[in-house]
Amino acid sequence: MNALAELALVSVVALGAAGATYLIAGPPTRTFQCDPALLKPDELCLESVPDSPDIVWVDARSRADWKKNGMTGSLLWNLDPTEDMQAFEAAAAERIAVSPQVIVYCGDENCGLSRQVADRIRALDLGAEVRVLHGGWRALKDAGRVKDSNPKP
Amino acid sequence: MKRILCIWLSLLACSYAAGLSFPEVLKEIHAPADAKTVAAEFTFSNKTDKPITVREYNSTCSCMAVKISENKLRYAPGETGTIRAEFDMGNFSGDVDKVIALWLDGDPAEKPSVSLTVRVHIPVLIQLEPKTLKWDLGGQADSQTIRIQMNHSKPIKITATHCSSKAFAQELKTVEEGKSYDLVVTPLDIKTPGLAIIRIETDCDLDKHRIQQAFAVVRKPTAAEAAAKP
Repeated sequence: MNALAELALVSVVALGAAGATYLIAGPPTRTFQCDPALLKPDELCLESVPDSPDIVWVDARSRADWKKNGMTGSLLWNLDPTEDMQAFEAAAAERIAVSPQVIVYCGDENCGLSRQVADRIRALDLGAEVRVLHGGWRALKDAGRVKDSNPKP
Repeated sequence: MKRILCIWLSLLACSYAAGLSFPEVLKEIHAPADAKTVAAEFTFSNKTDKPITVREYNSTCSCMAVKISENKLRYAPGETGTIRAEFDMGNFSGDVDKVIALWLDGDPAEKPSVSLTVRVHIPVLIQLEPKTLKWDLGGQADSQTIRIQMNHSKPIKITATHCSSKAFAQELKTVEEGKSYDLVVTPLDIKTPGLAIIRIETDCDLDKHRIQQAFAVVRKPTAAEAAAKP
């Protein structure tokens, strides 16, 4: 058997196996999966967050992203040097005084910004319980919780 | 013992061969109060016997721009390079750590080979201690004090204070003009939850420090606070 025939045979077998896997196990899961075992101490999975209006959501992404597809009712607080940090503090303090449950999210699961923003909110010392959303905005999008998104199966 | 040492040396050789060598992975910078940006440089060299490619590098903060020398990403054995980080001090103050991550060819997306830290010490010219005053709902409406300490080379005077809520009274006392002040705050209604944002205006010559903000709040203590009380 020449090399081309061998290559064709291997390709056919591989494609057949992939097709069978697709038929038996279904399509690959592309939604964000939160594994509670991987959570850092101040993180939580979206699945464990009740759909409650008493939670203050804080978007740590850029102002443009927040306006485009942030969570409805969320506050903006990022570390952009051009933003007014005192305005962020004042807006957050007013909401925290009413609802001390705060969850911060940023662009994706590897984004460290939400933790830095969470630290700043804690530093206000207003008695808020501040957590970071594992998976960030992507988890919210997959769950249909941000503007222009639908829950994925 | 010899066997353990051999295994350890082999592992060390592998990890060394896999990456670039950085003499320093932490740079500390003491920024002047009026600086708008500060820069840190990390030098590195390829001490392995194979070329190394930097696949990606970034900072976790939009406040820090990172550049690699001449945008060169591939380094032959023995070659050296520099990573330059420029930190925009914007509205930061106090001690700030910013991390730069470097992914080399073959690194998994979630685990860069190299993490470099820029630690910036930014002077706090006007220190409020504490920044937030708290009263328990239904508790004692005693006065509390925010000590305002100026840490600049020249005096900073408080020119005005504004409180966002009529549910709190405030009085400014000068301890030492241009150096130290006490802001005494008293809640007028301890039976209703309330929040006041207190703006403290000064004549500081540096814009970003000129106006400070403090908080006064009357609220139900959290479960943790209630448990901590005797």
